[in-house]
Amino acid sequence: MYLKDLKTGQSATVLKINKGHAAERRLFEIGLVPGTRVEVLSRHPFKGPLLLQVGNSRLALGQGIAQMVEVELIPDQDL
Amino acid sequence: MTVVMIGNPNVGKSLVLNRLTGSNFIVSNYAGTSLELSEATLKLSNREIKIIDTPGIYSIISSGQDQRIIKDLLEKEKPELILNVLDATNMERNLLLSFELKQLGFPMVILLNQIDRARRIGIQIQRERLENIMGVPVLFFSALTGEGLMELMEMLEMDKAQLNRPSSIEHYWKYDNCLECPQCSGCSACSIGSESCLGSDDFRRAEMARYTTQLVVHRQSKVQRYWIDRAEKVLDQPVLGTAILLILVFLGFYVLLKFIELSEGPINALLDPVNIFIENFLAAFLPAGMVNTILSKAIPEGLIIPFTIIMPAMLMVSLLMSVLEDTGILPRYSVALERAGRLFGVSGQAVIPLSLGFGCRTPAILATRLMPSMAERFIVITILSIVIPCAATIGVMAAVISAFDASLLVLLTTMLAVLVILGFLTSRSITREELFVYELPPLRIPDWNNVWKKVRMRFSGFFSEVLPLLLVMNIIIRALIESGFFELFYALESFTRSLFGIPADAFVAVLVTMFQRYLAPLVLLNASLTPREATIAIAMISLSLPCLPVMVMTVREIGAKGLAKILALGFITSFVVGAALNLILPG
Repeated sequence: MYLKDLKTGQSATVLKINKGHAAERRLFEIGLVPGTRVEVLSRHPFKGPLLLQVGNSRLALGQGIAQMVEVELIPDQDL
Repeated sequence: MTVVMIGNPNVGKSLVLNRLTGSNFIVSNYAGTSLELSEATLKLSNREIKIIDTPGIYSIISSGQDQRIIKDLLEKEKPELILNVLDATNMERNLLLSFELKQLGFPMVILLNQIDRARRIGIQIQRERLENIMGVPVLFFSALTGEGLMELMEMLEMDKAQLNRPSSIEHYWKYDNCLECPQCSGCSACSIGSESCLGSDDFRRAEMARYTTQLVVHRQSKVQRYWIDRAEKVLDQPVLGTAILLILVFLGFYVLLKFIELSEGPINALLDPVNIFIENFLAAFLPAGMVNTILSKAIPEGLIIPFTIIMPAMLMVSLLMSVLEDTGILPRYSVALERAGRLFGVSGQAVIPLSLGFGCRTPAILATRLMPSMAERFIVITILSIVIPCAATIGVMAAVISAFDASLLVLLTTMLAVLVILGFLTSRSITREELFVYELPPLRIPDWNNVWKKVRMRFSGFFSEVLPLLLVMNIIIRALIESGFFELFYALESFTRSLFGIPADAFVAVLVTMFQRYLAPLVLLNASLTPREATIAIAMISLSLPCLPVMVMTVREIGAKGLAKILALGFITSFVVGAALNLILPG
């Protein structure tokens, strides 16, 4: 699944960033390294940006870029 | 001895520099405050140290303007020391850059800045262990409290000069091992330049940064929560947060207009006797004649608008902007407005330069470096130059509106319409990828000393630039009026009346905007206009050309060609707005 498919409150592990895109390096540098845990803090309506918690930083990502990041859902521990 | 500071955006490099050298560089709470090199000197007992602060970067290897600047600096200065400033609350990502820098071979010291905040949120760092892993000295530091300052000074005092420095570092960023093709030689096969392609070395460093973080960082499970953390949570909610942000904008404008309105009385009460004195003094002192008439009228009259309207506007806008910057609220607008920005072809980052433009457009042009591509920069600079009113322009608009009872509603609607149309047209010309990535800073309570410092700095331009310029230009314009020069333009009366519905003298005011936007009203206020004429004239003035300092900055940033395009667009916009309003507005 991709980052853009996550719902608010869900956490996931970054698997990889799709190739062939100039944004790949930018995402990598800002901390979306494969293996990193991310949590979706909020999603803005009308296909607006996603707000992510990565480590101790908060990243805002546009939808266009969020659909290039492949992730694996971390199941909710409360369940 | 030369020290170069390098670190991620918004880790507090400028604040460290200020702490260290007692300088006064501008600091704000958002990524991208310092976009140029700044330099300060630290005088120690035995030597002088030149410390150079650099724009924040996440990686030094990737291609980019900031990276280029830093690489050139390292090559040219061959610094004795790299001071790598880290945000202690965000070790893993910050260490990625540290591992890159370490490979360059310069002597290095790691500064774990914001250590006070890290402790507050329950992060403990094992300093000695990190020193062992990195093989360089590591210091805890807090630019806020001054922790670690003495240790750093002592370290700088020690002689580092004998340490080896690389003779050239050019080969470090030539060809990193590309994962796609191991023998990558920077060919154009994969459309991404070799410098922005991810190589195996990058992944190796990321792995090391993660491993190191796991070894040295420990988190306490119990974290103290403060009200500001809760406020941050509310503000970052999509619907409620956006609503709060919009209410804040409304309140900001309300406070601004109220402040101008309320301050006008007291300022006038102070200014009137001064003006009467100046007028009488000049009239009596100067020999009778034209010079006498011009000066005794022009000087007092040239003081009124700057003092009663532009001064309070600049003061209030500076204050509001400084608070927005220091709290970290400003970048939150980029997230909330990202969707809306897409409508006119720019990503959310545009909000930062655009809102800075309400203060002064010159630094706002510099801030367009935050934009992900040159094409988007051009769009934002165009919108800044033509549409966004700076504090001085807002003051001027307020003056004309109150003097002639011009329509604020028409003016605002026109500006919004131009914004949408211009954005739509300029964005048609480019193909653009959706590349919105931005790191939000934590919310902070503003440091009032810093806010005060910024207000003073922004406002100082009023006395050093705005006031003298307006006064001189007012004298020139008054002289032109008295000498009958403007009457030459009256031949244009039928032309301007039929096309724009405004008299020739108002059209002259529009042309004067070529020099400085906020000069035009001086001409305008000397004419007699109906509300309709004034509305059209001020709309044409507000939506025209950038002022001279902005033009200079634009040439510096995107070249003369870009400026030429913007000027042409500005002329067209102004004339189209005039003609359109003349057609639409009831006579």
